[in-house]
Amino acid sequence: MVLKLLKEVLRVGEATLPYPFEPIDLAPGFRGKPQHDPELCIACAACATACPPNALTITTDLDQGIQRWSLFVGRCIYCARCEEVCPTGAIKLSQFFETAVMNKDDLFEHADYFLAACKKCGRYFAPAKELDYVYAVLQRSNLPVEQIEFERKLLGLCPDCKRKNDIPKLLEVYSEIER
Amino acid sequence: MNSPFRKQPAIKGESKYAIHIDQQAAQLKGVLLNDIRRSVFVYRVDCGGCNGCEIEIFAAITPLFDVERFGIKVVSSPRHADILVYTGAVTRSMRIPALRAYHAAPDPKICVAYGACGSSGGIFHDLYCVWGGADKIVPVDVYIPGCPPTPPATIFGFAMALGLLGQKLKKSHHQQGENEHALPRHPEVPLNLRICIEREARRLAGYWHGRRIADDYLELIKSGDQNQIRKDVQTYLDQKDDPRLAEIINRLQSMDSKG
Repeated sequence: MVLKLLKEVLRVGEATLPYPFEPIDLAPGFRGKPQHDPELCIACAACATACPPNALTITTDLDQGIQRWSLFVGRCIYCARCEEVCPTGAIKLSQFFETAVMNKDDLFEHADYFLAACKKCGRYFAPAKELDYVYAVLQRSNLPVEQIEFERKLLGLCPDCKRKNDIPKLLEVYSEIER
Repeated sequence: MNSPFRKQPAIKGESKYAIHIDQQAAQLKGVLLNDIRRSVFVYRVDCGGCNGCEIEIFAAITPLFDVERFGIKVVSSPRHADILVYTGAVTRSMRIPALRAYHAAPDPKICVAYGACGSSGGIFHDLYCVWGGADKIVPVDVYIPGCPPTPPATIFGFAMALGLLGQKLKKSHHQQGENEHALPRHPEVPLNLRICIEREARRLAGYWHGRRIADDYLELIKSGDQNQIRKDVQTYLDQKDDPRLAEIINRLQSMDSKG
């Protein structure tokens, strides 16, 4: 009986993984810590909107003209919704899982981006990189060149200024209708 | 010692019930953290978790990962414990039991905030009935984030708490450079076609895999030469050897040919 057991033990071999001494094999679909490429990021806040536990947050400083992207790894649930929505592929879930820390501050990642100022009122309204990106997408679309240039001019104005300048035009249209 | 039974409203943020460790205990704790030469006993404190973290802790003590080879043992009483592992987002009603476990454990003791909820409240961080993380009620030495942390991540966290391994994650800060631009992905593929392919791939394969499959496929078709594409797609499918992927790529291709 004992011999049989010993035989079985020898057949099976060692089951324990040598993990901390050797790297571990991870499954191909393993989702680890989100890896952010700050050069590719346009600070559009799509990831922060999608993030279920608010691990990704965007804070806007309208006085300094800075949009801050922050990741708090301590809150991340590794759902990969950020990777899913990122238009430029700046955020990808890596296979890195050794995220334990002694100091909570080390769980934070920040990236600061400049905001563009409105050409009319001078207030900050959107990240400059995002506007660049929108123009690059427009250039690759099938729109006529004149329209792309027109859209480009509009990109320099903040939504408030656009709305305020729309109203006189709308009033003109209405007065034409009434006539 | 602060009495945990004070009648004051529960507040979030910096806790006014913060526990202060006396000097001798702090000194002993420093020794325990840096120069431990014996086994450690771990007691789990479940402060309103979903039990995902517990399952992973038990996975870590199975023969496959076997934390007992480092002398780490899970015990059933806080009075035997050297390490207290706090899991769960610390609900309002579990705060007092969690504090009682803390005070029952002999000094020096290490507190570990385990899982996304234990580290920060996780997905429940802004609930009305939640304190949001073990560090709001007890002094925490090691944070092991994850939802739940995998057994290897658990082993890494414990090894770090015992001074066997060093911390890998560091705080980072990036400042936008002068000429930083981000361009749209796959510029060679027409915009409308790209959008159609991405949508269809996500519809077929789900949000995360769909995105990756669409990325792979768009990378394959960027040359625009039909013969080359057919060859590349075939080698890609042979490499992956997955009938589900072949079906999805087939459908994407038929959509591509329709325009």
